[in-house]
Amino acid sequence: MSDILLKYMKLGYQYLVNHVLAFLLIPTAIAVAVEILRSSPARWNSFAIDPIHILFTSFLAVFIATVYFMSKPRSIYLVDYACYKPPVTCRVPFSTFMEHSRLILKDNPKSVDFQMRILERSGLGEETCLPPAIHYIPPTPTMDAARGEAETVIFSSIDSLMKSTGLKPKQIDILIVNCSLFSPTPSLSAMIVNKYKLRSNIKSYNLSGMGCSAGLISIDLARDLLQIHPNSNALVISTEIITPNYYKGSERAMLLPNCLFRMGGAAILLSNKRRDRSLAKYKLVHVVRTHKGADDKAYKCVYEQEDPQGKVGINLSKDLMVIAGEALKSNITTIGPLVLPASEQLLFLFTLIGRKIFNPKWKPYIPDFKQAFEHFCIHAGGRAVIDELQKNLQLSAEHVEASRMTLHRFGNTSSSSLWYELGYIEAKGRMKKGDRVWQIAFGSGFKCNSAVWKCNRTIKTTSDGPWQDCIHTYPVHIPEIVKI
Amino acid sequence: MEEAKCSRVKVESILSVVSGKPTEPGKVHKLSMLDRAMGSHTIHIVFYYASNPFLDGPMPSDLGNLRITLSELLDEYPYVTGRLTCEPDNGEWLIKFNDAGVRMLQATVDATIDEWLGSADGVEERDLTAWEEMPNDPSFWSPFRVQINKFKCGGLALGLSCTHMHTDLTSATMLFKAWSEVHRRQPPTHPPIFDLPPPPTPTPPPPTPSPLPTTPTKMATATLKFSPAAVDKCLSQAPADATPFDALAALFWRRVAAQAPTKRSLSICVDSRDPSQHAPAVPYAYFGNALKFSTLTDDLLSGGLGQVAGHIHRHVAGMKKEEFSSEINATGGMYGGAALTCFNAEHMAEAESGRGIMYDAEFKKGERPVHVSYSVGNVGREGLIMVMPAAEGGRGRTVTATLPEEQVAELCRDQVILDFEPTMILCGRRS
Repeated sequence: MSDILLKYMKLGYQYLVNHVLAFLLIPTAIAVAVEILRSSPARWNSFAIDPIHILFTSFLAVFIATVYFMSKPRSIYLVDYACYKPPVTCRVPFSTFMEHSRLILKDNPKSVDFQMRILERSGLGEETCLPPAIHYIPPTPTMDAARGEAETVIFSSIDSLMKSTGLKPKQIDILIVNCSLFSPTPSLSAMIVNKYKLRSNIKSYNLSGMGCSAGLISIDLARDLLQIHPNSNALVISTEIITPNYYKGSERAMLLPNCLFRMGGAAILLSNKRRDRSLAKYKLVHVVRTHKGADDKAYKCVYEQEDPQGKVGINLSKDLMVIAGEALKSNITTIGPLVLPASEQLLFLFTLIGRKIFNPKWKPYIPDFKQAFEHFCIHAGGRAVIDELQKNLQLSAEHVEASRMTLHRFGNTSSSSLWYELGYIEAKGRMKKGDRVWQIAFGSGFKCNSAVWKCNRTIKTTSDGPWQDCIHTYPVHIPEIVKI
Repeated sequence: MEEAKCSRVKVESILSVVSGKPTEPGKVHKLSMLDRAMGSHTIHIVFYYASNPFLDGPMPSDLGNLRITLSELLDEYPYVTGRLTCEPDNGEWLIKFNDAGVRMLQATVDATIDEWLGSADGVEERDLTAWEEMPNDPSFWSPFRVQINKFKCGGLALGLSCTHMHTDLTSATMLFKAWSEVHRRQPPTHPPIFDLPPPPTPTPPPPTPSPLPTTPTKMATATLKFSPAAVDKCLSQAPADATPFDALAALFWRRVAAQAPTKRSLSICVDSRDPSQHAPAVPYAYFGNALKFSTLTDDLLSGGLGQVAGHIHRHVAGMKKEEFSSEINATGGMYGGAALTCFNAEHMAEAESGRGIMYDAEFKKGERPVHVSYSVGNVGREGLIMVMPAAEGGRGRTVTATLPEEQVAELCRDQVILDFEPTMILCGRRS
């Protein structure tokens, strides 16, 4: 009984605070209207209405309106996006991965066991894919193979996007590519300009080295550029090319990426054109970037280096989850006031004041982000990341389902994983008009970046996309430990 | 006397090919006693094609196109992508369907197909199906290996090698044929069956034979192609109802026995999948070992070609009617271990044309294999004679003889055999 009472009290409080303006203005408006109606028509004539007053008032109104509309940032729309679906011939079942591992690392059985333990607890499924060069015993990561993978992933994604949006190559104004670990000369963006014969005055950018959160950095860059360039669109390509980054050594901390990173990529079309407004899927509301690189521990926690044998790999420090938690807290502190309803912000403020003034032992209030968002896309960096965020943000299993299922089906595809997750939610038919989505990505640096989108139109489930042949089998139960 | 020369086959790379769909986890398959008895042998089949059928396809490389259809094929054969494991408590061998895939090797050959068929011998041909012996822990060892060998002339040899524990020559051929059907987008003619009802209790293994000689004998292989006319000539000396197998087995037995008088018995190996029978013991699509072995003793083997052929014919008929219980040598060495073994492949000849079903494995429509080579590994010193149907159909047969080196050399010079004008290929460089 008291539970139900508490629940209704809470609901009442939220409704009151979130609509406080309505609660204040409506009675005031009614009172004024009643007063006007009650007063006699004679009183009306006593209001000396001067034509000059009217002119000035209208000029002021127009002036204020102009200033408001001119200074309002342009709305940025996400017209559509396409994710790469790797061919089934690139599939890597656990048993094949472990077999290759044992054959290649035959002198390091401890490293092989370590990889097996990681894989068993990773949350990956049996359908994740590695590029063809990594299927060889031993892998053959040549420059040619890396370019081949880049071409396959990027061109397929762009072709899908062009098919679904009707975009023509000559219409692309801005091109941004982010791929952290493969940066050839000429760049991947030049590769795209060459393949699709894009215009010579295209604004192209190639972001490399920025880690798994670079996808949202690209979106942020696209947004800033679209503020300056009116009536334009931007093609953003987020991918990670796995071929050149296979770690050939046996240091355990550096073997983790081999176990988790898989092939994937996404192509996203953003636009500030008026005519794309009705067709676009999402509107970009906020992008919040947090960089913890000033702290030495955060800077070194994902570090590319040579192992004692001289083999290059990415070293993941043991403090990774703690640092990720800190970065998340920073990001939430910035994004909270932008997205949380007034009720949550007040509660947080009261608890903060209370802790400072009255009693430091009060539990800090964790704002309920479920009131601010309908959908969450947490970067599928690994099972631990998703577990940690689910705990910190007090999310239900359904909220993190998109992230977990993306990790299971596609593995850690780095910066493009957010788009696979969004694709999952759409494929399940859960995306309705007005729904708000929060994309959170972590990456080396250490960075935590967030993007907030608002759904522009209810999205019907389609027959294409990377999930089309398997969505009906999801969600699956992922056991704690999979026996290989 | 040729010294060990550098092989003309160079393996460029090794990778694994997996099925397109994940296997259902947790399934296992127990190997039968016959499977384990065959375990010491390995199977090597090479399909030679005049041109590379994988150059056409959506992928830029032939290996890419090959992998697409091989993956699709493996969806239906979780048995082939699984791994062997030995149960610790009772020592039983199982195949765990763990989805690990098959090993794929790419190699180049420094010769044209014609040069190769004229000059290579059995030992060099083994390089087209490079084999790795099973290690003590087979859980990460692939029992099936596919090798794609490219010739200088643009021709291709596809090699399939596997343990005889998993499959026999017939079902290995059917696997390959199914792959060619998947590649040509044809519905499968024989979708595989993996589980059979348990066979009747086999005969208890014979008392341990005398220990085999410690010096391993160097074996060699020769392939002799007999035209339909030659086979007819041979059959003319045999009773009317004799099959080409009966006549050729009798011919070869007599010639080998003439050189090596110590040979006293002949073991016949028959497949239980005979489609000509009204109710075959084993369905044609069964994937695994379905062989019967039975020995003929000396008294039935003396006499002229016709008499021996007649005895063999009656014995084969009896084996099909289950008059003789199948022999299993639990210590292994079923082929050539205790006696010269003759493998009967009459069931692999198509009913109407007489052409071997292996020659129907077309990856490109209208392009049949130029030749299909069969070879068995670890044959015992008594030897193995395989009588396989030929490419041209009718009663033509291709005989592959695996015997100790000197006996093979003698056989290829034997006048009685040469009277039938066989075409000799893959016999090494002979004048």
